[in-house]
Amino acid sequence: MLIVENLTKVFPGGTVALKNVSFQVEDGEFLAVIGLSGSGKSTLLRCINRLIDPTEGRVIWHDQDITAAQGQELRHIRRQIGMIFQQFNLVKRSTVLTNVLAGRLGYAHPIWSLFHIFPKEDYERAYANLERVGIPEKAHVRADQLSGGQQQRVAIARALMQEPKLMLADEPVASLDPVLAHSILRYLETLNKEDGITVICSLHFLDLVHRYATRVIGLKDGELVFDGHPSELTPEKFKEVYGEEAEMVTVSGEMNRYESR
Amino acid sequence: MHHIPDASTPSKQPPSWLSALLSLILPGAGQGYLGFYARGAGILVTILGLTVLILWRGNAALWAAVLGIWVWNVWDAWQMARGRRPRMAIPALLAILVIYSLAFITTEVQPRRMVTGWSSMAPYVRALFRPELFEYPTEDRVGSAPILVPCVEPLPEPSRKPTEHPRLILDKPCASVGDPLTIRGEGFFPNFQGELWWVSPIGDVQRVIVDHQPATFMTDDQGRFEITIIVPLAVPISEQPPPGQTQTHQIRAEQHKPYGNPQPTQTLRLIWEKIGETIALAFLATVLGAVLALPFSFLAARNLMYHNRVTRGVYYLVRTALNIVRSIETLMWAIIFAVWVGLGPFGGMLALMIHTIAALGKLYSEAIESIDPGPIEALRATGANELQVIVYAVVPQILPAFASFTLYRWDINVRMSTVIGLISDAGIGFLVIQWIRLNRFSAMATAILAIMFVVTALDYASSLIRKRLIEGVPPRPDRSPWVTWGIRGVVIGLLTVIFFWSWHVAEVDFTELVTGMPAGMRMAKAFAVPDLFDRPTEAHAIRQPLPVPCSVMTPPPPPSSGPRVVLEPACGQVGDPLTITGYDLPPHTQVSIRWEMPDGSFLRVKSNCCTTDDQGMVQVHTRISPLMEITPESPPGHVGYVGIHWEEIVGGPRLSKTVKTVADLALVTLLMALLATTFSSAIAMPLSFFAARNVMGESLPGRIIYNLFRLGFNLTRSVEPMILVLIMAAWVGAGPFAGVLALIFNNIPNLGKLFSETIEDIDPGPVEAIVATGANKLQTLVYAVIPQLVPPFLAFILYQWDINIRMSTVIGFVGGGGIGQQFRLWVGLNQYDKAGAAVWAIVIMVWSMDYLSARAREKLV
Repeated sequence: MLIVENLTKVFPGGTVALKNVSFQVEDGEFLAVIGLSGSGKSTLLRCINRLIDPTEGRVIWHDQDITAAQGQELRHIRRQIGMIFQQFNLVKRSTVLTNVLAGRLGYAHPIWSLFHIFPKEDYERAYANLERVGIPEKAHVRADQLSGGQQQRVAIARALMQEPKLMLADEPVASLDPVLAHSILRYLETLNKEDGITVICSLHFLDLVHRYATRVIGLKDGELVFDGHPSELTPEKFKEVYGEEAEMVTVSGEMNRYESR
Repeated sequence: MHHIPDASTPSKQPPSWLSALLSLILPGAGQGYLGFYARGAGILVTILGLTVLILWRGNAALWAAVLGIWVWNVWDAWQMARGRRPRMAIPALLAILVIYSLAFITTEVQPRRMVTGWSSMAPYVRALFRPELFEYPTEDRVGSAPILVPCVEPLPEPSRKPTEHPRLILDKPCASVGDPLTIRGEGFFPNFQGELWWVSPIGDVQRVIVDHQPATFMTDDQGRFEITIIVPLAVPISEQPPPGQTQTHQIRAEQHKPYGNPQPTQTLRLIWEKIGETIALAFLATVLGAVLALPFSFLAARNLMYHNRVTRGVYYLVRTALNIVRSIETLMWAIIFAVWVGLGPFGGMLALMIHTIAALGKLYSEAIESIDPGPIEALRATGANELQVIVYAVVPQILPAFASFTLYRWDINVRMSTVIGLISDAGIGFLVIQWIRLNRFSAMATAILAIMFVVTALDYASSLIRKRLIEGVPPRPDRSPWVTWGIRGVVIGLLTVIFFWSWHVAEVDFTELVTGMPAGMRMAKAFAVPDLFDRPTEAHAIRQPLPVPCSVMTPPPPPSSGPRVVLEPACGQVGDPLTITGYDLPPHTQVSIRWEMPDGSFLRVKSNCCTTDDQGMVQVHTRISPLMEITPESPPGHVGYVGIHWEEIVGGPRLSKTVKTVADLALVTLLMALLATTFSSAIAMPLSFFAARNVMGESLPGRIIYNLFRLGFNLTRSVEPMILVLIMAAWVGAGPFAGVLALIFNNIPNLGKLFSETIEDIDPGPVEAIVATGANKLQTLVYAVIPQLVPPFLAFILYQWDINIRMSTVIGFVGGGGIGQQFRLWVGLNQYDKAGAAVWAIVIMVWSMDYLSARAREKLV
């Protein structure tokens, strides 16, 4: 179980990104985080694995206080938490295989890994994970040679190398077209259902939230304004999260057209 | 690492020993036989290239490396025949080893000299901390007293009088070298420091040394002091007076008490004047160069000139001309223009200008080529006429780029203008080199600091303007148009004033281009027909004895046919008229007619003499030289001759000696650039992290270190390698090593700046992702940071290598070795055909290296 308690983040410039946010996530949930750009979604995800240090509050995961962890302890927590990003964050000039193996760094030998030397099992694991995301043939290609969807799959394979128990996904499909968006989210769904990995995923499109999430939280100006099942997300609630001007936009029309093929 | 079997191995498998054997006989042959032609050719070319290099200048030990590559090649062929594909690391390392060893040998890199030469370098460094900026006018008190060295009996009166006020009292009137001598002083400024000087009988002044330190004294409340010194050896042993005699020396005590307000030193005033000249030259060259570059840039723009065959021809012609002009460094142009219009600011300005035209012409044309046709189309669609299209769609597209390139060039011209003076007498560089020659270290240091200050400040100003150009100026609707136009008017007025001032300072006189035309043309002609080929010659000589006087011997008659010398008369007295005639020589040939002594020495009868006519005859009228006279002391049979010497061409044309010299020096130049680039990259890389904002962070110490490194880079960057080489030559001696050091000292801040900016531009995404996997700091560096840095770093290193090649071609002008040294020498000796060969070698070298590194850069990015 992940417990987020009174999380507040104030950036050095004075911007308040999170205000006293509290919620809990049970193991095995697929939690969607919604909200406008700048509402604090990314900050929230990054506070969970301490890419950003929160100003106040605690994050407790499986009885470990992540916010208090330092050094090696923190790294050992991080390696159990996979993360994928909107911009994929691959090292573009490195090969796909190197990028995937990098997911193993938290486990690898601190010296040998500096010379790109990994145990044999890690290679096998890397090939297996590339197989799993459907691009085994791309192992020796440079990452910048891949399309956006393929790059995000490499990023998932990298996160899988960590054998994570929790997966953070920061708008993983915002840079992708609708078809690819679904295929990426289906991978996350499979991980969630088959491997029992908890997923916390920030999303933009409401139909994707309805389709994949088991629970939704909504952030507005850093404050938690919604917490419930996707079906509870009525137009009124939606306007509360996104503001009065907002209108629901879906990708379903296009999606159906592609899916009917 | 895991092993990847190669899929392209040919299916037909010949026996592996066969390919190994083939490679043993001819390197690369086995690989070629297996179908890997590129690999085989690469191996062969490498081994041949290294062989040539080692034969050229190598050390026998380096053959071991070539042998190693040969052995590896046999093993490689054997492995490849068995379907494996070994890595190239070993031969690559061996090849690099050979090339770098050669570079060390040819550029005479001896780090030891950096230690042994430190004592001569130290004054330069110390001077940098003691610039001559301001001085107080001083009130002086000088007291002196004579002393006789050594003591003799009886003691004569000293030939110099002591001063009365202030006064020096010595404890004895005479002393010997090495004796202690106590000096008391009275009537000086109280409680103030002073210096002691020793004046020799001929007026040489030196500081008195006590305990290895220059002697100083401090006066008491009454203006008195007392000090004991050792009488120095002020006169060389060879000049000492004979025994029993003595000389009057003098001891001088000086106090210089400052008063009033500080004044700029004479040095600073000179620097001020020359810095003005430096800026004027750069300004004028930039303005004129930019204006003149415009027409060329349109002719060199592919999209404008690719319509028909004629314009395309013009395009290629202009492009080539711009490229050739550009590959000859500004300083080389300065030497050329010094021959054409003479030394002075005008020649320097022309050199800067012509290089500016070529560089800006190319940059402008690229801006024109990258123009977006969209807006042009859109404006045409609105019904605008051609002129309107140009004003509204073309000019706004090219103007910011043009302005930005012009500013960039202005920066370069300011730097170049600081070194023009090293070979001409224009700009601040002239002062630097003069003061170095005069050992006026602190004046030189002041000039260098002034250069640092001015160049850095101007750099900063132009970076601000450039930023404004790129970001655009926000419109100010609140400001009345009168104010806007008023400001514009002031700026334009100022620029106009600067322009005319520069025109005046640069002593522009275009008539000099015409009056200097003959010299310029002579050089241009020689450059166009460089000394590339010569033909082997054979020396011939004929001679005829000339007895002086006649009584010495009876000269044998000259042969009646064939080449012969006939003297009329056949003998005579010194000063008698003499007609020397040569017959049956090769027609139209330059001959040299000489008085020849029996011991083999000779003297030309006439200088620049003579050419034979159609019949192969040559004749000169002269008088018998005193050299030919036989005196009673001369040994018997000691008779002089009159000889005619000429050279006949045998065999066909071959590469001249000049070509060999030029090729040799070109290679040295390349290796200088290679070493400088390697070392400076290796040093700049770790340093650059300290100058990267995102690495140093926002903490106070981080910010301080960041700013210190940034400032250090910017200040040291502003001193051109041409100036540095003067100092390095003092450190390790003139030669390629000094050139390499100067380049390194200039490259480190340049590369450091570029590297640190790359580090700042790094994409934080991958770093975040790798940190999120639980990787530690080092792992993050290796997996997320370094892969992002390697390609841009390599690109910058290649770029620096290009610059270094250009720089190394001119660094020899002032003692940095390489081809520049020889070029300047040849121009100085009026051997323009040889200088021309050097220029062409430079053009080819710069061009081909530019091309290669551009290709490599394309691959990297």
